[in-house]
Amino acid sequence: MNGFLDMRVAGALILLLASVALALYGQPSLEQKWAFMAERFGPRLAERQVHIDPGELLALMNDHYIDLLIYDVRAETDWNWFHLVDSERVDLDKLAAQRDRLLALAENAVVVVVSNDEIAATEAWKRIMALAKPNAYILEGGLNHWLNIYGVAGEESGAHGETSLATPDGTLRHPFKLALGERHAAARPDERHAPQRDYTPKVKLLKKIARAGGCG
Amino acid sequence: MAPFDLQALIGNSGSYFLYLAIGFGFGFILESSGFGDARRLAAQFYFRELRVIKVMFTAIVVAMTLIFWSTALGLLDYDEIWVNPTYLWPGIVGGLIMGLGFIMGGYCPGTSLVSMVTLKLDGMFFALGMVTGILAFGETVGYFNAFWHSGAMGRFTLPEFLHLETGWVVFLVVCMALVMFVGFEWIRGAIYGKAK
Repeated sequence: MNGFLDMRVAGALILLLASVALALYGQPSLEQKWAFMAERFGPRLAERQVHIDPGELLALMNDHYIDLLIYDVRAETDWNWFHLVDSERVDLDKLAAQRDRLLALAENAVVVVVSNDEIAATEAWKRIMALAKPNAYILEGGLNHWLNIYGVAGEESGAHGETSLATPDGTLRHPFKLALGERHAAARPDERHAPQRDYTPKVKLLKKIARAGGCG
Repeated sequence: MAPFDLQALIGNSGSYFLYLAIGFGFGFILESSGFGDARRLAAQFYFRELRVIKVMFTAIVVAMTLIFWSTALGLLDYDEIWVNPTYLWPGIVGGLIMGLGFIMGGYCPGTSLVSMVTLKLDGMFFALGMVTGILAFGETVGYFNAFWHSGAMGRFTLPEFLHLETGWVVFLVVCMALVMFVGFEWIRGAIYGKAK
């Protein structure tokens, strides 16, 4: 009986010590979680399998069978100058609050993260993957690239021109005349009249969608 | 990093076999711990027999500690483990109904199945009643759908409720379990005298 009692006490002590050690050690932060996951998801990022062409994002914006969630992780000032229609601005350090929403996304959901270039979007993508591993992508070249393609000359100070995407520094390189947010023409270009682009589609849905046609 | 995609790793048959083995192990442990006996299960409510609470809570705190240590070390992604979403009001009512059923019938769903497979008549009737209840619920849930979905809080766990770090919540739950074990033994001793 005494031996059994000693074992019970020893077991309880081990459990207590393990829980105290756990409390002191803590749970992984998003950055640590990404470090744990990097071996699995890092290659997708390094091989640019998750960077989608602006043309593909435009196609997604016009595809009503897809539940598209665009996270814009830029500063509020840049957001006020210009942002994509239906995008949502979220601060990088507040992405964790999106966890439940990301976990509840449908199988036809696609998450696209945008920033001025790819710097903040890549960081956001890592955090989003650490949070919920959704079907997430990054806009290739960011909104600077988007505006190089779909920007309208009359909306920018000086003549609209292609800005260099080399040496990205996180800034918006298209100087707008007015801070019109999503009321700029480039916020949702007309797919029929927008420049047509050749790109390799990279978005893979988690579930094949039955696209109804005709009068079905 | 766990949880692993079992279907991809060992195929459908392999994963079904694993589920079967885990279920067998769980049932075996329940029966060996004496959980197939309604009198023993019901006795816990009168502080006469405490093994149910001790076995169950030991399993809970050990599993909890292992889960969160595994998460801390990057061996497991806790976010990928299914946690039942909280529906507060139906959860409270359901808990009361289940508690009442447990104290009256002497079984919870799992133990009634253990009892049934060891050919105990009360276990068989309890399991039959449970299946009938499930059927009745399924057929009538449409009438109280609003209540069934009321108090929806999503994936809501103790750290969010207490606004504490997960590790400290684990520590508190372990302390609670240990205090409960000692406290219930003391109550049993006070009511029924020292255990033989």
